Amino acid sequence: MKLSTVQADAIQELGNIGAAHAATTLSQMLGSAVEMSVPAIKSIDISELGTYMGEEPAAMVAFELQGEIPHGGYVVFYISRESAIRLTNTMLGMTDMNRPMNEMDESALIEVGNIMVSAFLDATAELLGFVMLPSPPALTIDMAHAAMSSLVAQMGEEIDDVLLFSTELVCEEHKIDSDIIMMPENSTLARIVELMENMMKGI
Amino acid sequence: MAEVLKPDEQTAMIGIGEYRVGSFPMMTIGLGSCIGLTIYDESMKVGAMAHIMLPDSAGRKDRPGKYADTAIPLLIKELTAKGCKNRTLIAKMAGGACMFEYFGTNLNIGERNAERVRTILKEQNIPLKKEDIGGKVGRSVTFFPANGGRITIRRADGTTGEL
Repeated sequence: MKLSTVQADAIQELGNIGAAHAATTLSQMLGSAVEMSVPAIKSIDISELGTYMGEEPAAMVAFELQGEIPHGGYVVFYISRESAIRLTNTMLGMTDMNRPMNEMDESALIEVGNIMVSAFLDATAELLGFVMLPSPPALTIDMAHAAMSSLVAQMGEEIDDVLLFSTELVCEEHKIDSDIIMMPENSTLARIVELMENMMKGI
Repeated sequence: MAEVLKPDEQTAMIGIGEYRVGSFPMMTIGLGSCIGLTIYDESMKVGAMAHIMLPDSAGRKDRPGKYADTAIPLLIKELTAKGCKNRTLIAKMAGGACMFEYFGTNLNIGERNAERVRTILKEQNIPLKKEDIGGKVGRSVTFFPANGGRITIRRADGTTGEL
């Protein structure tokens, strides 16, 4: 699906509101300030996905979008392995960076992902009047490309271009860099665009 | 111990749905549920590699490297065009993991990809010599046709292997 400039702006605004809520929850969990980027919209040919996400190790908490559209695509809380350790160290009061990740880290990451993505989807649902619920979370700590391409492979509608809506959330104090990435199915995207357009007409 | 082979700037990076044929090194990075498939002719030292994403093309023809059912006949055709004989070709594959447990319960694409590749290789009478398939781990695979078709694998958990 190709987006016009107006549609892209509308989605960007939506991402902005969702990410702002997610950033607030992260900030509360860390007890320090979290900055967010302007949401980026990228359409990436699947053969080029590797140039955006390669072999770098990352923790990814993935949620399927459910609700009014049953298989609506995916939302992923993405955090580099290094940032993930800093995040759980901060939360659990530890300092050792050179340690393997354990079950405690995994639970903490799933919980953080759950809280942030729920906040993201709550805010967008409220704005759109369209309910998108997250599935139970699934965590993997692996090569970024391996995980993200697996999600693309199981999208319901077959695609050659992946639409990624991503917002970067950074905590300077603890040097934690993370992203919320949304990969909607075309049908979900069409519905969101329609709702946003109706909203703008109403203004 | 043979010398350690590493990808270099001559190495062709094969993205999802792409394929290459030749004697230069080829690489697929970050295989999750995707399959890195190689078909190799040892006497010619020529090989082909594809980065397969899905088992079935359902009639789509625009990206033959993306599907098991279109990629395999195409690699064989390209290899025979380079003078390789069908009966000397051998295949190896890696990938087919299930990266997310929760989503994997009803829809294990990695497993279906691997199964489809095995079936089609059998139909085409190409022996599948070795494989490193499944599990929950991402893999990067490098293929060196000029060096006896050696294949090195690096897994996300830090382990390495050869096929």
